[in-house]
Amino acid sequence: MIELRDIAKTYKKNGEVEVRVLQGVSLDIKKGEFVAIMAPSGMGKTTLMNILGCLDRPTSGTYRLEGVEVEKLNDDQLSLVRNEKIGFVFQTFNLLPRASALENVELPMIYSPRSGDLRKKATEALNAVGLSDRIHYKPSELSGGQQQRVAIARALVNSPSIILADEPTGNLDSASSTEIMAIFEGLHREDRTLILVTHEADIAAHAKRLIQMKDGKVVQDKKIG
Amino acid sequence: MKTELTIKESFKGLGRNKTRTFLMMLGIIIGITTLTIIVSAILGAKSDVMGKVAKFGVDQISINAGAGEIIGVPQDTPVTTLKLEDAEAILSEVKNIKSMAPSLNTRALPIKSSNGNTEANIQASTPQWTEVWDTRAVAGEFITDEDLSTMARVAVIGQTVAKELFGSEDPVGKQIRIRELPFTVKGVLQTKGTSPSGQDMDNRIIIPLTTGQKRLLNRDHIGTIKVVLRDPSKMAQTVEEIRHLLRERHNLQTGVADDFTFITPKQVTDVATQVSTALSLFLIVISAISLFVGGIVVGNIMLISVGERKREIGLRRALGARKKDILAQFLFESIAVTVSGGLLGVILGLAGGKILTLFTKLSMVISWEPFVLAFLFSGLVGVLAGISPAKRAASLDPVEALRS
Repeated sequence: MIELRDIAKTYKKNGEVEVRVLQGVSLDIKKGEFVAIMAPSGMGKTTLMNILGCLDRPTSGTYRLEGVEVEKLNDDQLSLVRNEKIGFVFQTFNLLPRASALENVELPMIYSPRSGDLRKKATEALNAVGLSDRIHYKPSELSGGQQQRVAIARALVNSPSIILADEPTGNLDSASSTEIMAIFEGLHREDRTLILVTHEADIAAHAKRLIQMKDGKVVQDKKIG
Repeated sequence: MKTELTIKESFKGLGRNKTRTFLMMLGIIIGITTLTIIVSAILGAKSDVMGKVAKFGVDQISINAGAGEIIGVPQDTPVTTLKLEDAEAILSEVKNIKSMAPSLNTRALPIKSSNGNTEANIQASTPQWTEVWDTRAVAGEFITDEDLSTMARVAVIGQTVAKELFGSEDPVGKQIRIRELPFTVKGVLQTKGTSPSGQDMDNRIIIPLTTGQKRLLNRDHIGTIKVVLRDPSKMAQTVEEIRHLLRERHNLQTGVADDFTFITPKQVTDVATQVSTALSLFLIVISAISLFVGGIVVGNIMLISVGERKREIGLRRALGARKKDILAQFLFESIAVTVSGGLLGVILGLAGGKILTLFTKLSMVISWEPFVLAFLFSGLVGVLAGISPAKRAASLDPVEALRS
């Protein structure tokens, strides 16, 4: 499903110094896998995540997503790939602060070429994460765990091929973290493909495969759990 | 991506920050309110002019003594170029003339009665005056041909004069003094109200032309000739006939300018239109400036808003929004703000115009034009003000935007 070959990413900082964030990452991830990518902070996790999520392009290397060479897609096509195939879950939730939970979950469907009943689908997605009684609440009226559940509902609502979660529990207390990880395990049982980026070992332990990165390279790749 | 959903997102975006939305709208509201009042006033002035023409009479021509462009009835004309014989020649030689009244007019002169005194304009004319000016005597009688031939010291007075001098008494048969010369009141004119130029049409006195010329003013010329046409569609042709006749009678050589002036309904309209065009141009410039300023405000607040909402933009891009979706969302926000500000401005403008008519002499006409103008102008301002911020929003790098 996902094939990364020699992915490198270089940033130019202050126009002078080149920072090589990723230095030749090769990975294969199959459908239904639950993968945790672990790395110390600032070691290219988020960059890898952005490349996997088609938000960013690698400086070199190839990325095939479900057989499609992502480098060859234009900006509009990448947007469509993000909309249909990727579900993002962010550390900071990234909900629209003044919009209700329902409106937040409807958001990806607005950009979908498929038609359907936005309200109905969004309500179903919120039911699935156990927030059926909170659909009209604004993010500020929800706890952190609940906000992240809204974000997960938003990631699921377009039935994406992959769910990418970038430190999903980074801003949560341990009770909420457990709650969120339980949802991810549930999604795994439904045979969804999950990629989780974290620097916390106990969070990574929920996955079935652990990839360790250091200095922009994969240093360990093993099955766990 | 469906257009109606983008529009909906734009409205939601505006609804989520009402203060910002209102501030953006304010300049447009003010601009369109001004524009609406101006348009209503211009249309009002136009209908005033039409009223003026109707009052002047669409089938009438005035010939005034002297060259020049005077609107209305010339008073106490010092120019001696027009004689009673000219008037009689026009009536007998130009076929399209139905009736004719020559007159010699004065500015306001002191008038006295045993009860009081006042000032009034004097029009020395002939019995045909009543027909040509469409003003009858409602009490007593109008002046007659006999009054004319005997230079009778009789006067037909307007309603205002009657009220000033006699109050509720019947003035007919009573004595008045015009410039100390005694006259007998023969009749009272019907009420005519105020002229479009604000003159009280009832504050005047009609006396026989001969009496005015010989006894009161010591003149042998007349100031103006007013004629009524049989066929108003031949207006231009008739003017030329009269011009030819008068130039011949006055022995004017080719190349010498006319020593008389025509006033036709078209001229009345033209002059009034010129005045209102100049005024409206000025006012339109003012409202264009305020719309321009309003547009700059909208553009700036939109730019700030794009800066503040980088994260939202990054998120939308991550969720699958294309560049053009972001562009459309912000452009629609800008247009929605200006167009709704515009429509609000029209409503305020119409209400404001209505209030203005209560305190001023301005006429306002409520019509569809302000709505169309507001829609077009505010829409245009919305596009112009919104395009650059919307482009900036669309061109943000999603990764950078999300990180902010």
